[in-house]
Amino acid sequence: MIAPQTAAEQALGLSLPSRRDEAWKWTDLKRLLDRAYDTGAVQWVAKDVVRLIASAPLAALNVQRIVVVNGVLQSAPKGMMVSDVAPAIVHDDPLLTLNAKLKAKVISLAFEGNVDQPVEVLHVTTGQGVAVASRLHIAVAAGASATVIETFVGEGEYLNNPVTTVDVAKGARLDRVKIETESARAQHLSQVIVTLAADAILNDFTLTSGAVLNRQNGVVEYHGENASAKVSGSYLLRGAQHADTALIIDHKVPNCMSRELFKCVMDEKSRGIFQGKVIVARNAQKIDGKQSSHALLLSETAEFDAKPELEIYADDVVCGHGTTCGDLNHDHLFYLKSRGIPEAEARAILVEAFVAEAIETVENEAVRDALMVLLHARMVS
Amino acid sequence: MLEIKNLHVRLADEKREIIKGLNLSVKGGEVHAIMGPNGSGKSTLSYVLSGREGYEVTEGSISFKGEDLLAMEADKRAAAGVFLAFQYPIEIPGVATMQFLKVAANAQRKARGEKEYTIPEFMKHVKANAEKLNISQDMLKRPVNVGFSGGEKKRAEILQMAVLEPSLCVLDETDSGLDIDALRVVADGVNALRSPDRAMIVITHYQRLLDYIVPDFVHVLSDGAIIKTGGKELALELEANGYADIVGQAA
Repeated sequence: MIAPQTAAEQALGLSLPSRRDEAWKWTDLKRLLDRAYDTGAVQWVAKDVVRLIASAPLAALNVQRIVVVNGVLQSAPKGMMVSDVAPAIVHDDPLLTLNAKLKAKVISLAFEGNVDQPVEVLHVTTGQGVAVASRLHIAVAAGASATVIETFVGEGEYLNNPVTTVDVAKGARLDRVKIETESARAQHLSQVIVTLAADAILNDFTLTSGAVLNRQNGVVEYHGENASAKVSGSYLLRGAQHADTALIIDHKVPNCMSRELFKCVMDEKSRGIFQGKVIVARNAQKIDGKQSSHALLLSETAEFDAKPELEIYADDVVCGHGTTCGDLNHDHLFYLKSRGIPEAEARAILVEAFVAEAIETVENEAVRDALMVLLHARMVS
Repeated sequence: MLEIKNLHVRLADEKREIIKGLNLSVKGGEVHAIMGPNGSGKSTLSYVLSGREGYEVTEGSISFKGEDLLAMEADKRAAAGVFLAFQYPIEIPGVATMQFLKVAANAQRKARGEKEYTIPEFMKHVKANAEKLNISQDMLKRPVNVGFSGGEKKRAEILQMAVLEPSLCVLDETDSGLDIDALRVVADGVNALRSPDRAMIVITHYQRLLDYIVPDFVHVLSDGAIIKTGGKELALELEANGYADIVGQAA
């Protein structure tokens, strides 16, 4: 029997996955997307946008900034190669279908040579009951390198569906940082698809802390040998926040490396989920793949679910995964308190130290420091 | 400074009594050694003084500078001037030693209503003390106690003590795991902190440490109570004859 269409499905024009779909068992979109979203062009109030830009987490940082409001490109720095053309996506995913249904506009960035200054794509979203989407393409040319930060800020109650495709050419390097600090009532449903050519390097970090509902799908595909990817992330969740990352590391060719490190903090009634799949194709020998996800539960009612999956068809590989879940170490707490540090501050220090391990994977020092400041502000707020 | 009266303590989850009617009075400037066989309650006493969870005081009182110590949380006791040098210092990954020292020192100053250290003031304060204890700048950058050798951990404890300037220092088996050279460095560090307004309780199993940190009083702790008190010569007597004699006399 086919379940009747929900109001959200009618408004968005697609069928949403539900708990019956294995990949969505913890994040039942059919139930969680619970309204007839307004999918028309969304208006915004200029002064709200100005305020959100000024208070964005990296506002003080010296970056090349591209501003996108409700999915629409507003401004890009002079000299940047920005276009509205991107390659078609061959993958299939409900979040990609949603992106197409919402008629996301393409923002395509091309990098050549070594670009030292980070580029920030600042997504500002405002609205009530609206659904907006964006489609970013990042192409790093052969031998080139770049740092791209995708930051999300917003106000109101909205669904945001950003899709990012990344193409790292032969011998190129991309450092990508994503900062999800959406409105506390936002639903953030994103997808990123990365393709790595031979000798390419991806260093990716995602901070997840804003939206009430967050689902992030990621795919990293290896198309050339000797490529490596480090994919890290951190959740800072509280209240009734729900964050679910589903990451697929797809080793199609031999001699590549992958590292995944997620350090997730859940407080109050929040729930974090990490689903990490590593696929190693039959001919993809000598793969070195490691995955680890670690959770810190700060309350009795917080929850973490991890689903590591290794699908290995080659016979000469080194792949492994590990997961831990626990509360703060009481000996550590006592030691700090015995030196005069009050309980709340001691807890914040230990949480920050836990999360720092993932943040330290960020290469750019200024961005890394800004993330630590953001983390500290979150801990003491 | 410290008055412990008829203290009875049991483990919160076991109901087994560890300290059974302990009395101790410590004045400013005094050094008290507490010696005793394994299991006599030495470490429990240090944890009860510093406010570790898991111990239940069923009877008696501890007053520190006229205040009820047992009513204070561990961090308040530290701010009031109690410092415990741990027998097994805890490793805290991800927290740099220097940063930890600064947060702790300023938290205590803030709790006492004093002005917080500026960064240059504090660096100077730490550097002067670190040099005396052979602690390198590199060690200060490393996470608290992580990868430190046994000797380095004990020196780091004494550095914390020197930097935080407590009025009551409780040293729990600070000599354990130290060779004679390391012991001398640690003892010199402790002796440098002796002053008329600072008291020390040195908990040790062996007399050796007391050759270097010479106590004013030696107490023998057995089965949760002090059964004998004397001067520094009592430690030598214990070293020569063992605990069995004294424990036997008291029984």
